[in-house]
Amino acid sequence: MNDKEVVRVAGVIQDVLRQLRRSRYMRCMAQLSLFAGTMQELVRNSRKLSAALSRDWYAAAERSCKNISAQLSDISFPVSNIQSLLDRCHEEIPKLSEIADELWTLREEFGDVEFNGEENALCVITEPITLEDIYLGRFRIALYVDCLCELYQKAPYFVMATDPHPAGTDDAVTHPHVSHNVVCEGDGAAAIRAALEEGRLCDFFCLVRSILTTYNPASPYVSLSDWHGIACYECGYVMTGEDSYYCISCENAICDSCSFGCADCGEVACKSCAGMCEICERSLCSSCAKTLCGACESVCCESCLDEGLCMNCKDERESDEEQETESTEEASEKRETTVAGSQLANGGQRACADCSTVQPHGVGQTPVLPRQVAQ
Amino acid sequence: MRLLFINNDGGGFADYLDVTEGMTVEQFFNEQMPNRRPEDYLIRVNRQPVPRDHVLQENDRVTVTPTKIEGAA
Repeated sequence: MNDKEVVRVAGVIQDVLRQLRRSRYMRCMAQLSLFAGTMQELVRNSRKLSAALSRDWYAAAERSCKNISAQLSDISFPVSNIQSLLDRCHEEIPKLSEIADELWTLREEFGDVEFNGEENALCVITEPITLEDIYLGRFRIALYVDCLCELYQKAPYFVMATDPHPAGTDDAVTHPHVSHNVVCEGDGAAAIRAALEEGRLCDFFCLVRSILTTYNPASPYVSLSDWHGIACYECGYVMTGEDSYYCISCENAICDSCSFGCADCGEVACKSCAGMCEICERSLCSSCAKTLCGACESVCCESCLDEGLCMNCKDERESDEEQETESTEEASEKRETTVAGSQLANGGQRACADCSTVQPHGVGQTPVLPRQVAQ
Repeated sequence: MRLLFINNDGGGFADYLDVTEGMTVEQFFNEQMPNRRPEDYLIRVNRQPVPRDHVLQENDRVTVTPTKIEGAA
């Protein structure tokens, strides 16, 4: 950013700071309205208390007191909010030369400053950051000037990794305190807001850099000890690459507790993809779980199938076959005793006494019974 | 003499302070930030880095910014 551009950008920022001041006054009004509403409720409750006492309605009086107590405990927060806003209302807008000085100082502090005209964003890039031997790379801090006037609603800046080395468990976490390009400011929140309100741009970028170069193990999105870990797809447990398995079907990483070995092929499956043999209840992968009994269509492992049937169906079939064999033998014996010796012309088959089958070779003929032949 | 002190450690408020003539930056820091180490801060006078024995002048702007700030999640 050359000197001419510095002056131009300084002008843009000065205009936005004027809008921010207006936003500050609007916010004051909004907070005061809320506070006034709370005070009106208090007045209403005090009248109720007075009315209750005049009638000796002590239960109603007690209820009013509880309501008043709750409202009083809620007052301190909005009061301090309003006070904080009012303390800042008298801050002067910095002069154009002061803002330009800030930009030049920023350039010296960070080596270079870029103003992206399309996004109206003032950007700096940090040095490469390493925290506890974990390399995170450089970060681009982008202050969206147009969003400065919405400072009280949302953060007007983003922090993007230029060479991301995100956490193994979440691509959106590029830094222990950065998620989806948003910094969780922690202890720096108040100072960052004050710096932006007063147009102290160099202080703002330095404060954000200080957060990026510090690790707070008590409250990270992902701790550095788990940075290179993998989260189990089923239970979320963070494991190292050596301790992880991969489901043969969905290829998701799973931990030891959530992995199932297929009884047939030995492959590993996750809880969601694994099936089960309905006979022996051992785990099967999704491919082997397509093996079905030919009769009842139960899912079976190879061990529980015999000639394409599960053990239950096999037993049943064997039992049916035995019964059929027995009944066939019985019928056969019966036929021999009632229709023995009778023959039909042209090789017609011997018919049973109760057989209603049509005999094509012996149409019109009738078997000659031994008794009749004897006569 | 009067100078503007911007303490970015905490609330980040700016205050005008009266200090004795001839006070150095190091003395000023030790007075305003007791029990803190200068190496944990960026100390700037009128937006410029200065040596510890730099003598402060009337209407100087002294900024102290911590280099370590704990973020959160």
